[in-house]
Amino acid sequence: MKHPIFSLLVLVLCLSGCAVSEKHSAAKPVQVGPSAMGEDFANVPVQKVNDPLQRLNRTVFRFNDGLTTYALRPIAYRYAIIVPRPVRTGISNFFDNIQFPVRFANSVLQGKLTRSAQEVGKFVFNSTFGVGGLIRVSDHVSGLANVPAEDFGQTLGVWGFPPGPYIVIPVLGPSDCRDLAGFAGDFVISPLNWYTLGIIHYEFIGNAVGIALTGTRAVNALPKSVEDYDQMKSAAVDPYIAVRDAYLSYRSAQIKK
Amino acid sequence: MRLDLFRSILTSFLVPLILGVARTSSAAPVDDPAAMLRSSIDEILSIAYSGHGNENLPSRVRPSLEKCFAFDLVTRQAMGPGWRQFSATEQKRITDLFSELLIRTYSARVVGTERPKISYGAPVELASDRREIPTRVITSSSNDPIAVVYRLIRLPAGWRVYDVLIEGVSFVANYRAQFDEIIQKGGASAVIRTLETKLAAPVDSRL
Repeated sequence: MKHPIFSLLVLVLCLSGCAVSEKHSAAKPVQVGPSAMGEDFANVPVQKVNDPLQRLNRTVFRFNDGLTTYALRPIAYRYAIIVPRPVRTGISNFFDNIQFPVRFANSVLQGKLTRSAQEVGKFVFNSTFGVGGLIRVSDHVSGLANVPAEDFGQTLGVWGFPPGPYIVIPVLGPSDCRDLAGFAGDFVISPLNWYTLGIIHYEFIGNAVGIALTGTRAVNALPKSVEDYDQMKSAAVDPYIAVRDAYLSYRSAQIKK
Repeated sequence: MRLDLFRSILTSFLVPLILGVARTSSAAPVDDPAAMLRSSIDEILSIAYSGHGNENLPSRVRPSLEKCFAFDLVTRQAMGPGWRQFSATEQKRITDLFSELLIRTYSARVVGTERPKISYGAPVELASDRREIPTRVITSSSNDPIAVVYRLIRLPAGWRVYDVLIEGVSFVANYRAQFDEIIQKGGASAVIRTLETKLAAPVDSRL
């Protein structure tokens, strides 16, 4: 029972932190578009970013970069050889399907009722015809394909909370205050953590099973994330800024969806 | 008998219609941004997935990319107001280097054996001479389609792409943010040095 309270505490602390820090630097996103550019193409404004921890963030970013290069890439490389792509996709589909309560709850919290219904439909289809979620059959059902995945970070955004300072988390990578709180919220909703949190008591599920599931999920996602990171890095002139801008723009686009 | 008649009527109507459609689509009307984008991307993908592998891909796709992208406008936007302080020689050098980086980046993305499938949405009018065309890209490496939005402007030569947004991340804005500090610290020479170093390094080995 300690854990949910701890998560809530992190959430509350973080949100209050967001509210305070926001007063200091009004990070109003500048729209980069034709309307802002006028006729002169050299007038694109730089997006104002709330990054007071930049020095620390850059250090953690370098650490994560080293971790990716020397530890994660070799693991990802070997895993991708042993486990072929269709199997990796199946495993990833399985975990996505299990995470249904997270997407459903957040769709409801954002008042997106059609989307909540779509999530239920997806879950039913994929759990049954998709063999326990391994095959995403819902992609072939009209109305159930390309449903944007909701999470608690987005819910907080829809509710009007600002992103707060940008934070690079060791191992996990880029985030911001709002998404950190969102992460804590989704942790509670995710069935993968129900045993750890004491929500379910099954004799046959132990902590070991929970850890094994979480580990499998993380390793299975590695080849794709290492590939994405490499692509981004090979294009960037300042990878730290490139990732920061990409993360913040991507999240703000997701919230609008 | 009635079936034959029906068939001949059908052919006499359909054949010119099909030929007519084929003729217009192969000409790729200059005034239609969607047609321009679609034919350019088709051309680029045909080169990239012609089965010749990745050898010299950047130089092979360059002519097609140059027909479709306004590299000078992309560069100018990525540099921001600092651009006006650069000399003409510096502007030319930066445009060349940055275009090369973009072409190399683009080439590194169109890899794999399976040609991605692209579906095009309806163009959105941003201004009388600007359009935004949403697309969805389905690749073999990802389970989910990737949302790619192209922004085009009408130039004397025709419609050209001046920005690309991948999952809401603007190419131009992303580079603008990266170059901002470099320009503030070292001006045009720092930009040129950074780009030269970047291009000298080999493309990262991937999985």
